[in-house]
Amino acid sequence: MDAVSETIITDQKPTQPTVDDPSLLTVILDLTPHGWFKIKHHITVQEVTKALLVFLNAHLSLNNSNQVAFIVCSPDGAKFLYPNPGKNFDGIQDNGSSKGETGNKSSNPNLVNTEMYRQFRIVDEAVLEELNEVLKSLSKSNSVNKTRSTLSGALSLALTYTNRMLNLDQSISTTTASAFNATTKSTSGTSNVTSSGSSASAVSTNYTSMLSRILVISANDDDDVKYIPIMNSMFAAQKMRLPIDVAKLGSISSSYLQQASDATNGIYLQVEKPEGLIQTLCTAFFIESSIRPLIILPSNSNVSYRASCFITGKSVDLGYVCSVCLCIMSIIPTDAKCPTCNSHFDKSILNQLQNSVVLSTKRRKIDSNGRDTPPV
Amino acid sequence: MDESDEDYVATNNGKAVVSDRDSSEDFSDSDSSILGDGVSKRTRSRGRSSGRQTRGGPMQSNLKGNSGGYSWEDEYQRTWDIVKDDDDGVGSLQTLVQTLIESRKKKIMKNPSTPFQRGIIRTMIVIIDGSEVMLERDLRPTRFSMMLSLLQEFILEFFDQNPISQMGIVMMRNGIAIRISDVSGSPQYHIDKIRQLKTKQHNRFEPKGDPSLQNSLELARSLLMYNFNNKVNDTQNSKEILIIFGALFTSDPGNIHKTIDNLVKDDIKIKIIGLAAQVAICEEIVRRTNSSKTSSSYINTNYGVIMNESHFKELLMDCVIPLPVSEDFEKKEKKGVPLIKMGFPSKIQPSVTSNSSINLNLPSICSCHPDEENDASHSKEAGEAGNGTYSSKKVIGYKCPQCLNKVCQLPTICPICGLMLILSTHLARSYHHLVPLEAYKEVPTMEEYESTYCYGCLLKFPSGRKNAQSDDANKIESLTSSRYRCGKCQQDFCIDCDVFIHETLHNCPGCENK
Ligand SMILES: [Zn+2]
Ligand SMILES: [Zn+2]
Ligand SMILES: [Zn+2]
Ligand SMILES: [Zn+2]
Ligand SMILES: [Zn+2]
Repeated sequence: MDAVSETIITDQKPTQPTVDDPSLLTVILDLTPHGWFKIKHHITVQEVTKALLVFLNAHLSLNNSNQVAFIVCSPDGAKFLYPNPGKNFDGIQDNGSSKGETGNKSSNPNLVNTEMYRQFRIVDEAVLEELNEVLKSLSKSNSVNKTRSTLSGALSLALTYTNRMLNLDQSISTTTASAFNATTKSTSGTSNVTSSGSSASAVSTNYTSMLSRILVISANDDDDVKYIPIMNSMFAAQKMRLPIDVAKLGSISSSYLQQASDATNGIYLQVEKPEGLIQTLCTAFFIESSIRPLIILPSNSNVSYRASCFITGKSVDLGYVCSVCLCIMSIIPTDAKCPTCNSHFDKSILNQLQNSVVLSTKRRKIDSNGRDTPPV
Repeated sequence: MDESDEDYVATNNGKAVVSDRDSSEDFSDSDSSILGDGVSKRTRSRGRSSGRQTRGGPMQSNLKGNSGGYSWEDEYQRTWDIVKDDDDGVGSLQTLVQTLIESRKKKIMKNPSTPFQRGIIRTMIVIIDGSEVMLERDLRPTRFSMMLSLLQEFILEFFDQNPISQMGIVMMRNGIAIRISDVSGSPQYHIDKIRQLKTKQHNRFEPKGDPSLQNSLELARSLLMYNFNNKVNDTQNSKEILIIFGALFTSDPGNIHKTIDNLVKDDIKIKIIGLAAQVAICEEIVRRTNSSKTSSSYINTNYGVIMNESHFKELLMDCVIPLPVSEDFEKKEKKGVPLIKMGFPSKIQPSVTSNSSINLNLPSICSCHPDEENDASHSKEAGEAGNGTYSSKKVIGYKCPQCLNKVCQLPTICPICGLMLILSTHLARSYHHLVPLEAYKEVPTMEEYESTYCYGCLLKFPSGRKNAQSDDANKIESLTSSRYRCGKCQQDFCIDCDVFIHETLHNCPGCENK
């Protein structure tokens, strides 16, 4: 069925490889400490960040109006590192006025070489600076909820941001003036696409010229995620035709991330040996969604479509479903009541399910239905 | 982004306020000049003078005094009259337009937090009109093709919201009822069938002849009843028929009232969308098949006649929402609702490509279509489009978690062990019904706001009233705060995020991060 909806999506959008369309890349880095601890012998957050920055810079260098966004999620919550309109803005301005000279930012040490291409420097500096702060606060925070995943929040933020960027061209229907101003200032590259007529593409902008994709880097092995919000984000991405690429570090695959990338036509890669992450990123994940049909990509062949039990939160592949609200249970609730919608379950059916005989009786019923006249 | 841009950003930032003023003035000036050229020249000049006069005083009453005889013009033009195109009208036009847009968006937005409790597993037969009247061109290009394109959208939306429901399509044409598509849970299958109807050449299904409500209702009824007995959970299903009726008459072979009696007996709910005008027999069908116990508004909700294209779409999309639980169902509930055992199979795809457009056609056998011959004839009947999907589906298989047998299409019932197999994502599509997201509340206008940026998309909000000069107390700037706050996490969102979050995403980003 999800294969089906994918076909629908590709049907509606004719595959015309539009070469110069700007593209938005949103990177979500899952900082849940537990997962990183497990792969500490292979790679550190620092190394992954390095690789990601190279990846982001490469993306920016492809097209003058390409965009990036960087979101981290930690047990403290998800957060935009870049763009960061409030903070970043001042930093850029400082750099801008002192361009050519040595970077003289008094407040923070130079994290990035000041000779660097400006667009790269803005992104890199912002990401590194903010990331340090996130890590600092993460180490300070209490250890009660260290395994909590806020990936759903990060995905939601990525989607709302992408939604804005995709609809920006129709800005007469959005918050007009502020939309222009904010983008000109905060994400300086954006302005090329919409407001200023400086770039050639701005002349012939059509509404959906912006491509976009999301890349999730996660080392989190816990399947104990917020199931419904993740699924909701997944469907939203599916509707927006926005692929979710996943690089899962470590040896255990994540069923929900797999489902998300499968449903959105994204790439899922299990990176068991993440030492050469930069290579993986720059090959498999570098390909724009518009040219993906032309290229043979790492396949996502065996997807486990496990669901999450509403009672225990564990993932299940065989469960019971309330027929009113469709919530999934791995066990039959003891009070014979749906935990979500509170409807009482049919006693006789419960008895049937609790007996192991149920399989054979059910099968007989189906067989007679399928082959003989249906019972009245 | 190069060096020259850098300078631009820097200077722009230095005088952010000034440039803002300039640009917005340009905007309003040009706009008013357009107005001046157009029809409402008189109104505008009056508006300007009144704007000057009323500085500081209550604007509304003055406007009323100014406008003389034409009271019907009054209400219509008031929004424009408020716009003062003098020097201190900085950004006022923009804010006004913004206010209007935002209020419209709010209105368009459906109320997401309606109570749910619905029997979600539905079986719906869509009866479309394929009679001669559908060639009328009052809808563009014709009624027929407009209906088909809207129907495609409807199918997608229907299966999006009702993941494990089934649908079938029947067409009234030339006095008989034709089955366009069998009852199935696959949106792609139905869409392919609809596409076939749209083809220009060698179309066997071009609109022709008279419609027959009775024939099609009988066919739909038998389809519904047949599919019902096959299902494991027949107590929960809702049986529905949706008729899109373009004609104003029906030519039936027998007594349609007997058909209606049968429909009532079988507890089938019928909705009708008329494309031309109300028809008495339609009204009767709707009245009798929808339980009369409910309030008198049943006619409005179940039988609608379209006013224009967007109304057509609106009516159609209304049918996506599951029917509210009927009173009979409430009674049944005391007995208890069934609990269904389901399996969530894994996808197995023995190909090396990630997209299904490049098939390596590795052979795979499934247990649901053991009879290859049969399948081939099926796909032949389905035509070329159908053929493509059938063969591509073969590559992807799903493994029953109970007996490890492979099936090729979901949702289905495992032919080996009788387990109902479904993708967990099918179920998850309807979960936002379970946990409806609370509507955001508009933040009242204030002197100063806590938030500067939209939490979701980092859009900069307009600043508070304190930046405005004192005599601008009545400025339209203060009409809206442009901020919509989530009651749970207290984060502020812009209107676009609000709409997007409630209509598409169904997650509050703020709450997810709490
Ligand atoms: Zn329930
Ligand atoms: Zn099969
Ligand atoms: Zn089985
Ligand atoms: Zn927003
Ligand atoms: Zn919230």
